[in-house]
Amino acid sequence: MDALGNLLLGFSVALTPINLFWCFTGVVLGTVVGVLPGLGPAATIAMLLPLTLKMDHTTAIIALAGIFYGARYGGSTTSILLNIPGESSSVVTCLDGYQMARNGRAGPALGISAIASFVAGTVGVLGLMLIAPPLARFALRFAPPEYFALMVLGLAMVVFLAGESMVKAMLAMFVGLWLATIGTDLFTGESRFTFGQAKLLGGVDFIAATVGVFAIAEVLVNLESKGGAELFKLAKGWKNLLPTLQDIKDCRFAFLNGSVIGFFIGALPGAGATVASFLSYGLEKAVSKHPEKFGTGVIEGVAAPEGANNADASGALVPLLTLGIPGGNTTAILLGGLILWGYKPGPLLIQEHPELFWGLVASMYIGNVMLLILNLPLVPLFAQILRLPYYVLYPLILGISIVGVYSVNNSLFDVWVMGLFGLLGFLMRKLDFPAAALILGMVLGDGLERALRQSLMMSQGDLTILFARPISGTLLFVAAAILVLPAVRKVRSWRVAAIEREG
Amino acid sequence: MNPKAILSAVTLAAIVAVCPGFAWSQEFKPSKQIEAVVHTGPGGGSDLLARAIAEMLLKEKLIQQRMQVVNKPGGGPAVAMSYLAEKKGETHTIGFFTGVWVTNPLTTAEANVTVKDLTPIVRLVLEPAVIAVKADSPYKTVKDFVEAAKKSPNQLRQSGGSVTSRDNLMRLLIQKATGAQWTFISFPSGGERLSNLLGGHVQMMVIEPQEAGEQIRAGNLRVIASLTEKRLAALPNVPTIKEQGIDIPLIPQARGVLAPPAVPRDVVQYWEGVFDRFAKSSSWHQYLEQNQFEDGYLKGPPLGKFFDELTVQMREVLKEAGAKVVR
Repeated sequence: MDALGNLLLGFSVALTPINLFWCFTGVVLGTVVGVLPGLGPAATIAMLLPLTLKMDHTTAIIALAGIFYGARYGGSTTSILLNIPGESSSVVTCLDGYQMARNGRAGPALGISAIASFVAGTVGVLGLMLIAPPLARFALRFAPPEYFALMVLGLAMVVFLAGESMVKAMLAMFVGLWLATIGTDLFTGESRFTFGQAKLLGGVDFIAATVGVFAIAEVLVNLESKGGAELFKLAKGWKNLLPTLQDIKDCRFAFLNGSVIGFFIGALPGAGATVASFLSYGLEKAVSKHPEKFGTGVIEGVAAPEGANNADASGALVPLLTLGIPGGNTTAILLGGLILWGYKPGPLLIQEHPELFWGLVASMYIGNVMLLILNLPLVPLFAQILRLPYYVLYPLILGISIVGVYSVNNSLFDVWVMGLFGLLGFLMRKLDFPAAALILGMVLGDGLERALRQSLMMSQGDLTILFARPISGTLLFVAAAILVLPAVRKVRSWRVAAIEREG
Repeated sequence: MNPKAILSAVTLAAIVAVCPGFAWSQEFKPSKQIEAVVHTGPGGGSDLLARAIAEMLLKEKLIQQRMQVVNKPGGGPAVAMSYLAEKKGETHTIGFFTGVWVTNPLTTAEANVTVKDLTPIVRLVLEPAVIAVKADSPYKTVKDFVEAAKKSPNQLRQSGGSVTSRDNLMRLLIQKATGAQWTFISFPSGGERLSNLLGGHVQMMVIEPQEAGEQIRAGNLRVIASLTEKRLAALPNVPTIKEQGIDIPLIPQARGVLAPPAVPRDVVQYWEGVFDRFAKSSSWHQYLEQNQFEDGYLKGPPLGKFFDELTVQMREVLKEAGAKVVR
């Protein structure tokens, strides 16, 4: 296929004033939706779908896709500044992003997340343009055993989230896995750990739990240290509010890592951006020269997950546009939109409507540039929030958290869940348990259990199905290596110490 | 009583007499935004249908107030149903039901609301389904598949939704009628069900014709039977399952609208009137055609009877399948 010719066609579609206008509107809206916790891109696109009926269809998908990937830019803002994950996929950004803000580097953190998003967004579009159909075919090889192995690999990332004690991290992770079992069992329809509460049938809301253990716990910890007046240092002068050249150099690998992992995971219908961001964070720490500094505010720890969750958005468009298969909520709505506009989304869509696909691809290049230009100047502006005194900032964090969590499902119950998880997060902080490990367990628990049970149904209970297949076998081997290596290293250091003692 | 008061009383009486629709009218008309509750997240089947209908109702000028879709996912339909039940007597709320609103309470003890507790308004859609296999699969008819499943029990696999979904109930019915046995694997999203079929990890799927349509045209899937009384207009060469000698009760996937419990009679009449005109509108017929849905228009006492009969039928099917039926 002549990609260049098609791309030219795409740009001729995307560069018309009306499409530029709607692309801009889409990405601005996406940024806003991303910044606000709670209201996500899925709900926004669903709300706006009726308005697109009168638009040209290519214009409509350009605008709606703009909201989708634009939201991934905005999601990092509250994660970094207030420790409130703006979207579920920006949970990982809290780990180093918020610490950077505490160290007076809020500006560079926000800046690098915009740059990482831009790089990954652009790599993602390149991928969508060049390898979408073969990648979609490859993704079809992922059956439940492969998903199981992927989830185990994700869980192995706990190694990289642990602080002093691996045991505490593992404990937190297993509690997270348990929390994920609450609700209705998909396979039998039976309810588990719901204590007769109809509101728990849907499980513990993930956003409510995360905002609790991150934002609310943070407020509680700070309240306890009475009079700790100085919360944040904020560098003076505009120059210090943006990443330096050295910062960008430090993130070279993170950009690549986030882009590739994000795009690939995005193309799998059953994984999700949160998994992608955890994986890329783990990989970044694994190859880092200073892994011990992760979690204290290293810039790569922001760039990798932010890149991953952005590339994931482009990846998610792969199965949607090449096969008509939606991978998540947002792409399901886009699919609904395509049907509503009279398209027949499926394997023949690109062939029969090249202007739609290539117009969208070209608009995504443009949209990513717009987002970078839009987001960088906002950095100093947003960073000013940290100048607020704590008696304004804390109520603000609480307010945003409550409104955000409530607005996900319009449920007061979720607000209580958030409060409960806030207390849990506070206790975990006091006892030095890593909250991120708990969240990791919660994110992966559902998929892990499902994939395991589906695999065993496939094999009539034979466990070898998990190891015997090439992709899942490889992934499991890598996961095992990640889990075992630190232990080996530890044993060796003991032996070295013992030998030294014996002289 | 002073003259002024008498005068105003007379004036008021006159106004009431002249404008019968003023304050004491029995006719209900929404005075604020209408809340439409669905049990799926954004992008789910009910969500997309509700949003499309909300838009068409406005476009056809059948409602004057905006209809806001509210997602209450969780526990199948349980969270949405108990939310509706809490809105007892509320006049500006409706809900979009599907078949699982009937089946789920039968097997879930915590789901303390059934469709009997809610106020039926209208059934709008009957979704047909077909049995699809991969295009390069050796099974050309249901019989081929059933024979293969008999030869090696539980080795063949079907992807589908939850165990109380229509996909699985159809499997149970066919298994019972033929004595064949195969495995059912649940996937929460339609995307995963389809990609596992296309990837060859499962051999069969019960799928909506609209979803299968493009895959058939691209040569990825083959339809071996339609689970309908008559052949589908879009797939005239595909025989129904009954034509292939498997006589099973067909479970309709119905979609429609309910109101909270104890809603005033005039509100029910209002909605019946709206959907009566809606069901005849050209936008709706175009939508049905686009999605290859069957027109399932039904209201009033026959709709109540439909729910009763479906409940009895589902209870039977679930019991025979060995599911724990709690009510």
